Amino acid sequence: MTNAAPATTATIAARAVMASKIYGQGDNEVRALDGISVEFAQSRFTAIMGPSGSGKSTLLHCLAGLDRVTSGQVFLGDVEISACTEKQLTLIRRDRIGFVFQAYNLIPTLNAEENITLPMALAGHKPDRAWFDNVVDAVHLRDRLSHRPSELSGGQQQRVAVARALVSRPDLIFADEPTGNLDSRSGAEILTFMRQAVTDLQQTIVMVTHDPGAASYADRVVFLADGKIVDEMQDPTAERVLDRMKSFGD
Amino acid sequence: MFRLTWKGLLAHKVRFALTAFAVMIGVSFLVGTNVLTDTIRRTFDDLFADINEGTDAFVRSRDEIDSQFGPQRDRIPANLLPEIRRIDGVREAQGSLFFYAQLVDRDGDAIGNPGQGDPTFGGNWTPEGLLNPWQLVRYEGAASRPPRTADEVVVDKSSADKGALLVGEKVRVLTQAAPKEYTLVGVVRFGDVDSPGGASASIFTTSESQRITAAPDAFDSIAVANGDGVSQAEMVRRVEAAIGHPKQYEVLTGAEITKENQDEIARAMSFFTIGLSIFAYVALFVAVFLIFNTFSIVVAQRLRELALLRAIGASGRQVCWSVLGEAVMVGLLASAAGVLGGVVVAGVLKALFAGFGMELPSQGLVVAPDVVVLGLIVGTLITTVSAVFPARRAARVPPIAVMRDVAIERAGHRLGWTVAGVVLTAFGVAVLLYGLLGSPKNGIAYVGFGALVLFIGVAVLGPTLACPVGRLLGWPLARLRGITGELARENSVRNPRRTSLTAAALMIGVALVGFITIFASSTKESISVAVDRVFRADYVITTHGGGFGGGFSPDLAEEVDALPEIQTASGLRFNVFEIDGSSKFFASSDPVGIDELFDVDPIAGDFATLGVNQLAISQKVADAKGWKVGDELPVRFPVGNKGTMTVGAIYGTGQQEGLSDYFISLAAYDSRYNEHLDNQVYARLRPGVTPEEGKRAIEPVVKRYPNAELQDQAEYKQAQEAQINQFVNLVYLMLALAVIIAGIGIANTLALSIYERTRELGLLRAVGMSRAQLRSTVRWEAVIIALFGTGLGLVIGLFFGWAVVEALKSEGITEFAPPGFQLIVVVAIALVVATIAAIFPARRASRLDVLQAIQTQ
Ligand SMILES: Nc1ncnc2c1ncn2[C@@H]1O[C@H](COP(=O)(O)OP(=O)(O)O)[C@@H](O)[C@H]1O
Ligand SMILES: [Mg+2]
Repeated sequence: MTNAAPATTATIAARAVMASKIYGQGDNEVRALDGISVEFAQSRFTAIMGPSGSGKSTLLHCLAGLDRVTSGQVFLGDVEISACTEKQLTLIRRDRIGFVFQAYNLIPTLNAEENITLPMALAGHKPDRAWFDNVVDAVHLRDRLSHRPSELSGGQQQRVAVARALVSRPDLIFADEPTGNLDSRSGAEILTFMRQAVTDLQQTIVMVTHDPGAASYADRVVFLADGKIVDEMQDPTAERVLDRMKSFGD
Repeated sequence: MFRLTWKGLLAHKVRFALTAFAVMIGVSFLVGTNVLTDTIRRTFDDLFADINEGTDAFVRSRDEIDSQFGPQRDRIPANLLPEIRRIDGVREAQGSLFFYAQLVDRDGDAIGNPGQGDPTFGGNWTPEGLLNPWQLVRYEGAASRPPRTADEVVVDKSSADKGALLVGEKVRVLTQAAPKEYTLVGVVRFGDVDSPGGASASIFTTSESQRITAAPDAFDSIAVANGDGVSQAEMVRRVEAAIGHPKQYEVLTGAEITKENQDEIARAMSFFTIGLSIFAYVALFVAVFLIFNTFSIVVAQRLRELALLRAIGASGRQVCWSVLGEAVMVGLLASAAGVLGGVVVAGVLKALFAGFGMELPSQGLVVAPDVVVLGLIVGTLITTVSAVFPARRAARVPPIAVMRDVAIERAGHRLGWTVAGVVLTAFGVAVLLYGLLGSPKNGIAYVGFGALVLFIGVAVLGPTLACPVGRLLGWPLARLRGITGELARENSVRNPRRTSLTAAALMIGVALVGFITIFASSTKESISVAVDRVFRADYVITTHGGGFGGGFSPDLAEEVDALPEIQTASGLRFNVFEIDGSSKFFASSDPVGIDELFDVDPIAGDFATLGVNQLAISQKVADAKGWKVGDELPVRFPVGNKGTMTVGAIYGTGQQEGLSDYFISLAAYDSRYNEHLDNQVYARLRPGVTPEEGKRAIEPVVKRYPNAELQDQAEYKQAQEAQINQFVNLVYLMLALAVIIAGIGIANTLALSIYERTRELGLLRAVGMSRAQLRSTVRWEAVIIALFGTGLGLVIGLFFGWAVVEALKSEGITEFAPPGFQLIVVVAIALVVATIAAIFPARRASRLDVLQAIQTQ
C-alpha cells in the first residue's frame, strides 16, 4: 500500500512555491519561512514537525490564508490564495478550509451543535443532516450537543472542534497541535478520528505537531528547521520519527 | 502602591477616557449653570445697587399679597411727598410709579414679550439728581431731554435700537389705558448698559404716569436722599415719626430695599439654577452607571494581575485602594476639565442670552471659588463612590486566581440582589406616589427621592431581567439575522450585570424623555378637552405667544364688545388673592353674559348678579370647605386689603374642569388691584354672523393693540400646544445630555467586551466570519442592550406620567394621553444612539488582526 498512490500523480490539495515569510527588518529580521516549496496531496494526512520556532505555525497560517507570505506563492487547489483579497480569503476559509487549534477553539456562548455548524451558519447554508449525524456519531458527541463549551472536558471540546472542521466537508483541514493540551488518551481518540476521516472519508488533513506519537498517525511527515524543509518521511512510525528528530538536535 | 495606580491608569487610558468624558460633561453643565446664574445675579445685584444708590430711605405701603409674579401691594398717597420733603435733613424726595407699558416699534409690532421674557414697564421721570438712575444720551445725533408734557416719552436705548425709534418722532405705547401716541423726546441709558437687565422702559411725566395708572394722587413708593451727616437709620426714624401710620406704611433704609430687591432676584434665579442643575445631576447620575460598569469590567479583566499582586503579598486593602486611587485620579482630572468646560458652557449660554436680547455686562463671567470647589467635589466624589463596589470586589480576588483559570465573567446573580431590587423598586414607587398624591409638605423632594430609588431599584433588578428579556428581544433577531443575530443575542446576555448596567443608563434618559413626552401630550389633550368643554366664545384675543404675563387695556374688550357683529365680549383676568389664609388663583371676568363665553355650569346662587363684594366658588371648593351661598369668607387683596367677601354663586367649572376654582367680577377686581389689565379677551359672534364676517370686524380693533393676537378655538389650542412644545423641546435638549452619556456607556461597555473577547473574535474570523458580519454582530448586541434599556425606561416613563397626571387632576390635567407615535420615535432615537455608539467598537472588532487574535492568550 506504501507505493499505491505516488505523490506526483495524486491531485494536489495545497501547495507552496518558494514561499518566504519575513518578520521584522534589518537586524531584527526573522525568516520564519525561507523559500519553502511543498505539496500536500488530496486525501492524505500530513504532519509537519520541527523544533520550536522552526516556522510550523507560520507555514500552516500561510497555507490556510490566515497570513500572507512575503514572497512566493500559495495555492489551494487551483486558486492562488497568496493573490486573494481579504474578502475572498474569508470566504475561502469559511467554505473550503477547516481549522482545529490547540485551544480556545469554540465560541463560549454557543452550544456544541451550534459550534459545529458555525461555518455553515455564517455562510447561511443548511448543514447536511445525514452527514452531520455521521460526524457527530463518529466523534461520540450525540449526547453532548446542547452543552456549552464550559460544560465540556478538554477532549470533548477538541472533538467538537474537529467535528466543526469536518462537517462542512472542506477541501482541507488544518490542525495546529490539536492534541497539545490533552492527556494521551483524549489525544489518541482525536488522532484516531482524524485518521479515520482521511482513510474512510477521503478528507485531507495537514497537522502541526511536535509529538512523534501524534505524527505516526499521518501518511507523511514533513520536517522543518529554520524555515526550510529539511526532510520528509512516508508512513512514519513513532520510533522512526523520534530517531530522525534526534538527528536534527532539538 | 501609588506607582501601581498610576501605571494602571496609563495602561487603560482609552478605557478611562470615556468614563472621564462622561463625568466631564456632567460637571461642565453643573458648573456652567452655576457660573451663568452667578453672573446674571451679579448683574442684577449691581443693577439694584445702582437704582437705589442715592436712596437712603424708602417709603411704601405695608401690606402685600405674595404671588408667583412677586409681591403685590397697595399704593401710597401722593400727599405724603410734601410732608416728607419738609423733614429736617432730607435733601431730596421723589415719588415713583411703576406699571405695565409696552412700546410699539416702527413696523407696528410690540417690543418685547412680558409673558415670557424680560419686563416691559413704564415709570415716571424724576428730576435728574441723586434719585434718578437714568442718563439722557445723544441718540443718532439728536439731543435728548426729559418728558415735559403728557404727550412726551423717553425710552431706554436698547428699546430705541430694537424698535428703530428716533428722537422727535411719534411712538405708540400700550398701557392699561388706551394705546396712545407720544413724541419721543429722549433716549436714556442705565449706568453703563443700554437697558436694565434687558427690560424695555418707557418714561413719562409724573402726571401722565398717574393718568395711565388711574392713580391721580398716589405713588408706588417714595425715595428719600439724605443731606450730609444723617444716617440711613436716623432718616427712617424721622420719616416714620413724620408720616405716622406705622401699620399702613413701611419705611426701609436704602440698604434694606437694595437687599430686598437683590434677594428677590436671587430667589427667582434659584429656581432657574435648580432647574438647570437638575439636568446636570441627571447626567451625573447616568454617569454613575457608566463609571461603575467601567471599573467592574476593568477589575474583571485584570483578575489575573490583581491575583498576582495578592500572591506576592499585597493586602486586599492595598488592592482595593489601588483601584480607588484610579477612580480618584480619573475623577479629579475629569472634574478639573469639567470646571474649565463649565466656564465655556457659561460663556456660550451668555452669548445665547445676549442673542435673545438679555444684555449682560461686559465684566465677564463670575467664577466663584465655591462653584469651582462644588464642581471638583461632585465630580470626584461621584467617580470615587461609583468605584467603591468594583474596588471591593477587586480586594476579594483570591491569590489562587493566578494559578487557576478563574472564569473571567461573573455570570448570573444572586437571589439576594433580586429581592433587594424588588424591595427598592417598591419603596421608590411608594415614596414617589406619596410625594405626588399624599400632598406632604415637601412633595417635590419625595418625588425626586422616590424616582432616584426607583431607578436604582430597577437597575439592581436589571441582571435578573437581563437574561430572559435579552433572550426574548433577541429571539426575532436570531430568526431573522441567523448566526450574527444569535451571537449578538448570546453576547448580550452572557454577562447580565454588565448588560443591565449599560442599559440602566439609557433607561434613565428614556424614562425622563418618555415622561416629559407623555406629560406634555396629556397636558395638550387636557387643554383641548377643557377648551371643548368650557369655551363658548368664538374668538380669543391673547397676548403674542400667550401666557399671562402681559395684557391689554380693558378698552380692547369694550371696543370689541361694541362691534355690531359681536354678541358679547369680555376680558378675562387671572390673579392671586388670599382666602381663608392661603393664596389662591382666581379668574375674573364680566359675570353678565358670561354664559355666552364660558360654560361655567352654575349650580347655586346667581352668577350674573355677582356684586363688588361677592365671589363665586367652584363646587369642589364648596364641598371641600363646606362653604355655601351667603357665607362670608375672609379675603385679602393688595388694595384695601383685609375684609370679607360673600359667596354669591357656586359653579361647576372649577380648575379641574378648565376654568378656575374662584371667580370675581371685573368691578370687584378693579377696586382691589392697581393694575387693570385683561390677560385675554373672549368674544362671541351675534347669531347669523359668519366667522369670516366676525373676523373682519374684530381684526381692525385688534390691530390697534400690537401685542394682541386674534385666535379662534382651533388656533387657540394650537397656540397653547406650541407653547408647551417650546418648553418640552428645551427639556429634551437638556435630557439629550443624559442620553449622550448613556450612548457613551454603551460604546464603552462594547469596547471593553470586545477587548476581552479578542480570542473568540479571532476564531470567528478564522472559521470564516466576514468583517461585515462581525460588525453587525456588535451592532445588534448594542441594539438589544438599547432595547432592554428603552423598554424599562418606557415602562418607568409611563408610570411617572400616569402618576403625575393623577396628581395634577385638580389642576386641570385631567387626561392621561401617552402619544403612541412619539414614544415610538423615542424608541427609534434610542436605537439610533445605540447603533452610533456601536460604530467604533464594531469597527475595532472587525479590524482585529486574525492571527494576533487567535494567538492571544
Ligand atoms: N508576528 C511575529 N512577529 C515576529 N516574529 C514572529 C511572529 N510570528 C512568528 N515569529 C517568528 O517566526 C518564527 C517561526 O514561528 P512559528 O511559526 O510560530 O514557529 P513554530 O510554530 O514552529 O514554533 C519564530 O522565530 C518566531 O519568533
Ligand atoms: Mg507553533
